[in-house]
Amino acid sequence: MTWRPGSCAVVGIGATDFSKDSGRSPLTLAAQAAHAALADAGLTAADVDGIVRCDMDTIYPAALAEALGVPDLGYWGDAGPGGSGPAAMVGQAVAAIEAGLATTVVVFRALNGRSGLRYGKGAATDVRAGGEASYEDLYLPYGMQTAGQFFALLAQDHMNRYGKTQEGLAEIALACREHANANPAAQFHDRTMTEESYYASRMLSTPLRLFDYCLESDGAAAVVVTSAERAADLRQKPAYVASVAQAAGPEPQPGLMFPMLTRTEMLTTPAVDCARRLFGRAGLTAADVDVAQIYDCFTITVLLQLEDYGFCGRGEGGEFAAAGHLRLSGDLPINTSGGHMSEAYIHGMNHVVEGVRQVRGTSTAQVPGAQVSLVTSAPPPGASALLLTAEAS
Amino acid sequence: MTERVLPVLDDPETAGFWAAAAEHRLVVRACAACGKEHHLPRAFCADCGTVSDHWVDVPPRGRLVSWTTVQHQVHPGYPTPYTVLLVELEDRPGMRMVGQLPGQPVTPLTAGQPVEAWFEHVDDTVLPQWRPTEGEWSS
Repeated sequence: MTWRPGSCAVVGIGATDFSKDSGRSPLTLAAQAAHAALADAGLTAADVDGIVRCDMDTIYPAALAEALGVPDLGYWGDAGPGGSGPAAMVGQAVAAIEAGLATTVVVFRALNGRSGLRYGKGAATDVRAGGEASYEDLYLPYGMQTAGQFFALLAQDHMNRYGKTQEGLAEIALACREHANANPAAQFHDRTMTEESYYASRMLSTPLRLFDYCLESDGAAAVVVTSAERAADLRQKPAYVASVAQAAGPEPQPGLMFPMLTRTEMLTTPAVDCARRLFGRAGLTAADVDVAQIYDCFTITVLLQLEDYGFCGRGEGGEFAAAGHLRLSGDLPINTSGGHMSEAYIHGMNHVVEGVRQVRGTSTAQVPGAQVSLVTSAPPPGASALLLTAEAS
Repeated sequence: MTERVLPVLDDPETAGFWAAAAEHRLVVRACAACGKEHHLPRAFCADCGTVSDHWVDVPPRGRLVSWTTVQHQVHPGYPTPYTVLLVELEDRPGMRMVGQLPGQPVTPLTAGQPVEAWFEHVDDTVLPQWRPTEGEWSS
């Protein structure tokens, strides 16, 4: 069986408010986002027969089914690791629908990423690091304890080899903030950033500053996926799944993140292999992309993906970003809701929601007439991505 | 000073690395049957299917690949600033390890500059560490 571009569509999107302290459990957040996505589609909990979660979510599919009032859940799945999940999670929904295992699938991510489990807090103090082939013992004792420190090593490596890295990082942060300033739902909606304030932000782990880092957020986002046939009868303009792909690339390495430092080509991420698969399945190229939601745990993560997805040549990410292509006025506007750095950190799921908005024409930073909308999830350690289109094929 | 994070010493995949470090030896894992070196270390050799626990000594020398000076403290046992060095073993492309030094370089670091291993004793554990062979450092 071969991939069928546009066989399924995202028909509903929903999100909670984004905050530093939600005061609600991830279960309530997940239920609110999923409920909103169903209402947006003109569906109810009774229509849902599948749920897909992120492997790092604390909420299991049956729990969300209970909270939502889903009477007969017949399919569930999860994808990850972590931020490499969201596009792949939508892919699982499509696969289940195409295989006849489900008809209407809710895909969600919920977390109290600021008031609860903070990914930026680093290693625990009371246990030895490592074990279970995690390889954390080779990194944590050396003060290599957060994602920011990991990406700082990649950023420095890029600076060592190529030019304009720093200028590119600054422009990525500025573009995301400018887009967030147009989005009332963004946590940094009211906070403007200038080149001066970017460079004045606190250095956290050289060469990365505070404004190179994503937010830590409480919130949830969800989408509803169904067949293209069924989508035609629903409330919203469908965002067709022209393509979805996953890739771990050569030498993927064990563990979650730090072991990627031992890949021979450290700056070539699995997104390269993901892009080949993604564009191949859709019969499209990077040149066809009108707007992109690029996974941005850090500015450098975006810069590397600009190269990996083929928007510019190897080593040219800094130069490409610095040239202003990434703003709404440019030819590859990115992270039009503000992304992880300025809207909220919902672990890649808010990117899926915004990618759908662009196809619908309802973004607060709308690219006029956007037909092809790219959404990427991670790296590390693997990568997944979606191409959403306004037309079925 | 608050306690540092120490490695587990009994993970079947990495125990030999820490055991060798206790004897001030730097080692990488190699398949006992075919000799293929595996870094990160693992027991299963995909080349020949053998499971073994064999390690070979490597020279305590390498080249600097990348670095970061951490200025935002996330762990009380690791006062900032400190610098993490990512090094590649001499003549072993892609075989990389990290080391950590308190403080930061005074002489700017450069990719490819030579680094050497040294062995740091922390409580009952010995950590293979790395430092530049030249240049001034402020701790």
